[in-house]
Amino acid sequence: MPASALLTATLEQAINRVLPLDPDSAARLQALSGARLTAFVAPLPFGLSLSFSEQVDVHAVHEAPAEVVAALTEKDCCIQTSLSVLPELQQTSQLTRLIQQQKLTVDGELQIAQQVSALFQQLDIDWEDQLAQVTNDVIAHQAFTTGRQVHERVSSLLGTFSRTLGNAVVEEKQLAAHRLAVMHFNDSVSTLRDDVARAESRLEKLEQRLTKR
Amino acid sequence: MSDNAPSTPVKAAQTEQEKTDFGFSQVEKTQKASLVANVFDSVAAKYDIMNDFMSMGVHRLWKRYTIDCAGARAGHKVLDIAGGTGDLTAKFSRLVGPTGSVTLADINLSMLKVGRDKLRDRGLISNIDYVQADAEALPFPDNHFDIVTMAFGLRNVTEKQNALNSIFRVLKPGGRLLVLEFSKPTSEQLSKLYDMYSFHVLPKMGQLVANDADSYQYLAESIRMHPDQETLKGMFEQAGFEQCDYQNLTGGIVALHRGYKF
Repeated sequence: MPASALLTATLEQAINRVLPLDPDSAARLQALSGARLTAFVAPLPFGLSLSFSEQVDVHAVHEAPAEVVAALTEKDCCIQTSLSVLPELQQTSQLTRLIQQQKLTVDGELQIAQQVSALFQQLDIDWEDQLAQVTNDVIAHQAFTTGRQVHERVSSLLGTFSRTLGNAVVEEKQLAAHRLAVMHFNDSVSTLRDDVARAESRLEKLEQRLTKR
Repeated sequence: MSDNAPSTPVKAAQTEQEKTDFGFSQVEKTQKASLVANVFDSVAAKYDIMNDFMSMGVHRLWKRYTIDCAGARAGHKVLDIAGGTGDLTAKFSRLVGPTGSVTLADINLSMLKVGRDKLRDRGLISNIDYVQADAEALPFPDNHFDIVTMAFGLRNVTEKQNALNSIFRVLKPGGRLLVLEFSKPTSEQLSKLYDMYSFHVLPKMGQLVANDADSYQYLAESIRMHPDQETLKGMFEQAGFEQCDYQNLTGGIVALHRGYKF
């Protein structure tokens, strides 16, 4: 069974179930109608293509990126990047830096990539309302209120635990260095590195002078 | 006796030439199309349900992989031969967009009607044509399509080589043919298991769901009579296709053959 087909089928199902939960996404999807975004994300052995119509069709691309780029039209965009860079793509201000660092290659219509990003980032789903449709308002409200309270309590407990553990490790048992000590150590290493570089440079100049004599 | 003797092998050869397989049976070549038509007339209404039931939904992944390998783009002209209930056509219709077109061709009118109704119910109407056509004599101009696909149809064609030749004619230079078809499992164990499933379970499923065991007995038999991977690849090359290759799916139960016209 082709694993790529299973992956794309799952992705397609998920996307086309989630998008209609936000009524505003229809307009954003409409703006993308006819467009296609192809992404090659290393180390995935194949590309992923998202074609937009009244729904999103997700397909695996088994051609080489160069072949896809060669066949781009004005409604196509092709990006090549790696999994580690994906989180940074959320900040559009970082795109230029990533392109300059050759961590991201964009071919075709960049606006399509931005619109696709907006389609998913601007998703605003009222999950409480969704639950209310299958249960009722009271149960849904109660479930979400309880969920929020549990989340707050767990976060608070985790915060307290983390602080207590930090104190025990750093202050009481002294198993790890204090944050300030680590920062000071890093600064000292940087200063030492600079000093070494300066000394190396001076030595090189001295060597050159001695060679000339 | 001596007068008749020389003519006997000739007669036998002629008879041989006029016969073809229909499952494990030998029938007149002229009869096969109508026998296959009877099978599909019988199963058309329950075709999708039976496919899901028999393959446990895996046929959808095989078809999706075929579409992935087709490389369809906006503006392409796609021919989906033996398109049946339109699984591939529905996807292609969205991928090629309003500037492209998809032709759903099937020799069987019942299947074509089921496919047309299904696609229209899904709102897919603008770029799809429906043609009742014989794969051996496609009623399209030369060099017309960018992509031709045939999923689970070739084994039902009487003269497979004629169908491949006909497809080659209607493909544009640079176009590609993809044939998804049952094939020969690559492992002996899987083959035995698959035989047991095909000949003992499948007809019972057919009886249970579609009230038609015979058609599913034919399905199992026709799969065994279909050329294996290498033979079909050779037939592609004989038709004129280049860069021919195939990929076994699910241990060779199904194979996707691909060839280009240059």
